[in-house]
Amino acid sequence: MRGASLIIFRLALLAAVLLLWEALPRLGFVNAMLLPPLSDVLAALVHILGRGDVHTSLGVTAAEVVVAFVIAVPLGAALGILAAENAYFGDIFKPMLFYVFSIPKSIFLPMFILVFGIGFPQKVAYAAFSTIFIVIMSASAAVESVKAEHLLVARSYGATQAQILRRVYIPSMLPILLEALRISMIFNFTGVMIAEMYASRVGIGRLIADWGENFEMTKLLAGVILLAAAAMLFNEAVRSLEARCSTWRT
Amino acid sequence: MMRWPSPRTVRRLIGVLILVLWEAIPRLGILPELFIPPLTKTLHVLWLDRAIYAAALLVTVYEVAVAMLIACGAGILIGSVVGGVASVRRLMLPVFSSLYAVPIVILYPVFTAWFGIGSESKIVFAGVYGFFPVMLSTAAGIRTIDEQYLLAARSMGASLPQLIVRVIIPASIPTVLAGLRLGGALTIIGVVVSEMLTSANGIGYLVTKNRTTLDSPRVFAAIIVILTLSVVYDIAVRFIERRTLVWQTAGRRATGPQAARVALPAQAPA
Amino acid sequence: MQHVANVSGARTEAKAAVEVRGLSHVYAGRDGAVPALEAIDMKVPAGRFVVIVGPSGCGKTSLLMMLAGLRAQSSGAILIDGRPIDKPDPARVGVVFQEASLYPWLTAVENVEFPLVLKHAPRAERRARADAMLNLVGLDGFGARYPHELSGGMKQRVSIARGLVQDPPVLLMDEPFAALDEQTRMTMGHELLRIWEQTSKTVVFITHSLTEAVYLADEVLVMSARPGRILDRIQVDLPRPRTYQMMATEEFGALRERIWQQIRTAP
Repeated sequence: MRGASLIIFRLALLAAVLLLWEALPRLGFVNAMLLPPLSDVLAALVHILGRGDVHTSLGVTAAEVVVAFVIAVPLGAALGILAAENAYFGDIFKPMLFYVFSIPKSIFLPMFILVFGIGFPQKVAYAAFSTIFIVIMSASAAVESVKAEHLLVARSYGATQAQILRRVYIPSMLPILLEALRISMIFNFTGVMIAEMYASRVGIGRLIADWGENFEMTKLLAGVILLAAAAMLFNEAVRSLEARCSTWRT
Repeated sequence: MMRWPSPRTVRRLIGVLILVLWEAIPRLGILPELFIPPLTKTLHVLWLDRAIYAAALLVTVYEVAVAMLIACGAGILIGSVVGGVASVRRLMLPVFSSLYAVPIVILYPVFTAWFGIGSESKIVFAGVYGFFPVMLSTAAGIRTIDEQYLLAARSMGASLPQLIVRVIIPASIPTVLAGLRLGGALTIIGVVVSEMLTSANGIGYLVTKNRTTLDSPRVFAAIIVILTLSVVYDIAVRFIERRTLVWQTAGRRATGPQAARVALPAQAPA
Repeated sequence: MQHVANVSGARTEAKAAVEVRGLSHVYAGRDGAVPALEAIDMKVPAGRFVVIVGPSGCGKTSLLMMLAGLRAQSSGAILIDGRPIDKPDPARVGVVFQEASLYPWLTAVENVEFPLVLKHAPRAERRARADAMLNLVGLDGFGARYPHELSGGMKQRVSIARGLVQDPPVLLMDEPFAALDEQTRMTMGHELLRIWEQTSKTVVFITHSLTEAVYLADEVLVMSARPGRILDRIQVDLPRPRTYQMMATEEFGALRERIWQQIRTAP
């Protein structure tokens, strides 16, 4: 299957799914209370996009996502680079890092609530905490990915540290850094959502949790679609950027 | 010049330090007990309420087990097909990779609306949560199986069932084990998150319930139980993986574009 | 000057173990049909050691795959032991690949008996055969080792043992020593000749190395670049058993030179 037919096939698949979503509840095969037909959900989507409180919620969530990201990424990158450059430091902490990924970080949410109370700082702190570990790991991997041979060649030609940084490290690491950014954002967004759904008065996560509790299914599903679309859009945007920078990679 | 202690020793020292601080900081009044109750108090409370915690743990473990069946079962099966069959892979893999970007947790209210706040919603949620990473990881791992193995087997006159049973399955075991380790960790995370959000039962529920009553020792006791569960599972699977170590590096194509690319772990974000 | 008829005329009365008649192969490339092999004729009498030599991409591996029944040719006939072959038949043809392709989850002896397992042979019998083969290739006592515990040369020996375990009259080998360092290659070549002389198999061996070709072969078939044709069939009349000292003789050098000439000046 080549390029064009691939896209057509995928669109056909999507169309089939959407069709079922519309038909099954309308025809009574699925309880329309639990899964409203697609058209109703889309109508709700239009509706919520017009509401002021939804705008505010989206704004709050977006702010949390951005601030947490801005905190976690530089901090995590610094630690990750340190772990890669300093073998001793790396040897100590890297095995611990792997364990961290198996632990549900959400169990620490209560601690953040106890310390910060419920509000903006608590959610941002938790999201940053959620994200920082993958940033550390990615940064460390990125630095290590720069082939030793390339560094050796540069150094043998008398390149200064600054030149090596600019001309070897950065071009070499750019695709990986972009991928790391992309994956870190996934973690970040998830962290914000969990915090909002768990204990928050504002934010889109809180809204959809409330809609769920009140069985307002059309609005809930509309919210889910909105957030999913936003997440995927960002993901694909960074991915295409990655692809543009990766042409030299095998 | 003094030799630096080995990293392992330092890690152990850090672990001990954490335990000591956990006890000392609240007792010395550096931080209020509300934020972090002393370790001994937490353990004491855990012992007192051990029946409650045990019952909750049972519920949680049950949910994890069933969710694992879904996540790993479907993940490994579908991952094998998506990774192994070229046409399916080209069609579906980009779709699945895109879906991975969506925080699955936003689906949890939908599941509670559909399945209630009992174990079913947790199982479905954790199952879906674990599914994508396991599927993606298996799809990637299947591709590292050396095609030469199949060629050699065909030259020896192997039939298709024999190829599958005697070559593909043994060669896939490292990938499958990695998928199980990943899937188990993720389903534990998924179950705990969903229990914390909306539940009437389970360890996650105990965390939330005791937080709202500001009973910090009991909150931390629950946290300790969850941490233990995660770590024990991880150690158990790593032990099994080590026993089959002989296959892990030998069965893969060690060179080539797949390995040259630095692989970031297909983790799930919670 | 191209030979089309059977050059090993002196032995036509011996039954040809491997016979190829008018084989051509065309495959569908991205921009249309690509001829890979053209009018290949071969007649290898039983017990001969034939080496095919040619530049990269000339189709020699494809030819071997067809001899093994792993790939179908576009036109022409292949007869092994007098009967056509269209799918793998390990009782007639044993195959040894460049990468030993031993299964890492099986021990050496389990790898060798693998073809017999596929045939559902009884346990005792297949273990006995496998042990005998390991003995033949000089790996007596190494049966319980796993592939990751064996050196490159040892792995190839296991691979050869596996190819021979069903006692096929024909053994096909696709650059089996290419991944080994030169010293191991020389030792393995010597070992292979010993095994060949002990078992009297018909061997079709592919290599890039001109030295290896002349050292091992009774007859060298020189192939051209794609589309692969047989440019020349060169008899190697050096006495057997071959020795390393022969490599230094003028005769050896002349044979090498002749092969190289053919490849270099082919149209």
